[in-house]
Amino acid sequence: MPTADAETTAVTTKKPLYEASTQFKHWRYSPESLADVRSKLNEAAVAVIRQTFEAYEPGSSANVLFLNAGEEHLLVTFYVTRITQLCGHFRFPEEVEATAATYLKRFYLKNTVMDWHPKNVMWDIQFQERLTALFLATKTTNNPISLEAYTHNIPNTNPSDVLDLEFLVAQSLGFEFSVWHAHRALWGIWLDIQALDGVPTDFAKTQTSLYDTALNYVRASRLTDAEFIYTPSQIALAAFSLAAPEIAQQWLKSKQAVSESNPSSPTQIPPGILGSLEFIKGLIVNAGQPPETEAVREVDRRLRLCKNPEKVVGSKAYLARKAEQEKKAEEKRNRKAMEVEKAAAEGVDPFGDELERPKISLVDYDDDDDDD
Amino acid sequence: MSNRPGYGGWLQGKTVRKGGASSSHSNTRSSTPHVQSTSSTIFGGGIKDPSGRVTEYSSMEDQCPVCKSDRYLNPKLRLLVSSCYHKMCESCIDRLFTLGPAPCPICSKVLRKLAFQPQTFEDLEVEKEVAIRRRLAKEFNKRREDFDDLKEYNDYLQEVEDIAFNLINNIDVPQTEAKIANYKAANAALIALNIQREEAYALALREQEDLDRREREARAAQLVQEAEQERLEREREQNELITKLETSQKDAKKLVAKARASQQKRLSARTTEKSSVLGGMGFGMDYAKLLKARTNKAKTSIPDEPHVPLQDDWYGYEDLYVLRPSYDDIFSEAVRKDREGIMRAGGYMVEEAWNRALRSAVAGLELEPLVGLPLEPSSEPTIDTAGDVVMASV
Repeated sequence: MPTADAETTAVTTKKPLYEASTQFKHWRYSPESLADVRSKLNEAAVAVIRQTFEAYEPGSSANVLFLNAGEEHLLVTFYVTRITQLCGHFRFPEEVEATAATYLKRFYLKNTVMDWHPKNVMWDIQFQERLTALFLATKTTNNPISLEAYTHNIPNTNPSDVLDLEFLVAQSLGFEFSVWHAHRALWGIWLDIQALDGVPTDFAKTQTSLYDTALNYVRASRLTDAEFIYTPSQIALAAFSLAAPEIAQQWLKSKQAVSESNPSSPTQIPPGILGSLEFIKGLIVNAGQPPETEAVREVDRRLRLCKNPEKVVGSKAYLARKAEQEKKAEEKRNRKAMEVEKAAAEGVDPFGDELERPKISLVDYDDDDDDD
Repeated sequence: MSNRPGYGGWLQGKTVRKGGASSSHSNTRSSTPHVQSTSSTIFGGGIKDPSGRVTEYSSMEDQCPVCKSDRYLNPKLRLLVSSCYHKMCESCIDRLFTLGPAPCPICSKVLRKLAFQPQTFEDLEVEKEVAIRRRLAKEFNKRREDFDDLKEYNDYLQEVEDIAFNLINNIDVPQTEAKIANYKAANAALIALNIQREEAYALALREQEDLDRREREARAAQLVQEAEQERLEREREQNELITKLETSQKDAKKLVAKARASQQKRLSARTTEKSSVLGGMGFGMDYAKLLKARTNKAKTSIPDEPHVPLQDDWYGYEDLYVLRPSYDDIFSEAVRKDREGIMRAGGYMVEEAWNRALRSAVAGLELEPLVGLPLEPSSEPTIDTAGDVVMASV
């Protein structure tokens, strides 16, 4: 039967939904490639900044101790913890917080801390990217807040601080705003275990502390690189199995049984997933803490010295660059003025040639030679 | 207006004002367009109205491009259009073409006297287009029924439109003419058949109209006849009653009642007779049959492929989870308890949220992490115009 054939081919050619996401296509790394991306970015940034230093004050870069990739990553992790604080301040939902954290981490896979750093030299004051990432996240997750209300609640901030970087951040994200989150997957697991055999009917009611523990592990996973390497469902399952190992095991087995009993299903959960889960668990437990304040303070102090001078308001390089930009603009203006003058001298009307007189139409309505 | 004896009297039409509104001083307006009506049927141009008159375009601005005489000098000026779509006045045409074919004074195409037509439209481009389309319609007269499916028919229509466009805009005229000739040769039989069909259809329409008209007339005549008969009968009865009342010894009231009853009977009998006659008349039956045949024919034609705008070939992990009708869920408690539905007003359905969460719980569960460096060279950081380091997006 042709219809049956069509159905089977349709099932086999269907692609899983998650593989359609930009998260899967563009933001999935192996641990090695992640480290590679970071170190390459760091090297390139250091080279550029060193050049800038030399350009304005030859020999000045010799004593500068630039940040390495690990130190940059430490700072980014620290910024993510600050996002949590900001979200608590605004009482934003989990979704906004998770999205903002993801944006920030993705942003720093394309940009370096040394370029885009605090607009204000005082440490511990808000960072523009962070503000912008959070503001962007409120918009993309349907929790809009007015820009005035947003900046009003953060001291020493102007609306322009947020908006200046908005396009840059969006561009670095590749305008890929939709994110699959682990906390949603955790909610799904929590709902689905109610359908498991052997789970007491009042499980969800009585064991809410289990869920809260798991959610805290999911939050901790945001401080790690888990989301670049593993899928949200795997992270959620790892977090849940940290809180309730047996139920998590049972749930995973039931899913494996379902996929095995249906060989045509595109989802065949491999046995290797247990290894992945153990790895994520290790990641959450070991790396899922906010970085130590002292270490961050130290890195940040050094960052002040090695930041791209063109981006520091008031520095020589910044002024030089500003001047150059202004010179260019001035040149452009002059050229335009020259053109206008030239045109005027040649007698060309700046408003263009005189329009052709309309032809006398067949019916001349203005004809006033009526004799009555 | 006056007749023009010199030209066989075919400019005897009245002058019709196009702008209609202020007819009182029409003659003083120098540039008012006019549509002249003539009874000429010699040429192909012009609009023929039901009375057989041809309405031509003319205006006060008219000027012969050849002899430069205008309506001011010659109020009876009549411009005709050549087959190359150039205007000329009648005297020029007479002067140039009486002795046989001669080149057009404007474009040097060889013209004959008979190739001049009266002008119908103000714009000669429109004039040309209408003439070309009229010509094409004669030859390209295939119908929907002559094609197997709609696509072929549409292609055919497109081709006809292309040919018309080419001819109107003088693009590849020789090739286009050759195409038309080819088509004519290849489809001669079909063209003739379709002409016959068209004629048959026109004939059928005429017959149908005729039939309708006759039916109406017959009905009217019948009504008149019936009314007459009714009147006669009533008169007769009246007379009968009077004579009876005069002669018989019976009760007058009874006699009147009897007469009334018989009258009633007659009337009802007539109405039933009428209805049966009308029902059995059978006018219009042929037409109904024709309509039925047509719809049947339409049904047998191949239907178009249904258009599917969105091809969904994504797998949503449906086999990995079962959405239950209800869950113990503290997060959606507020929504579910909201009896007035304020929280659901925007179309929020907690089942959808559950479904999304469940899907996201199993989505990508099977994916193993990537290992090692990507095979293709990883994107090198580049330096953009502003001097910032930017990783090229993957």
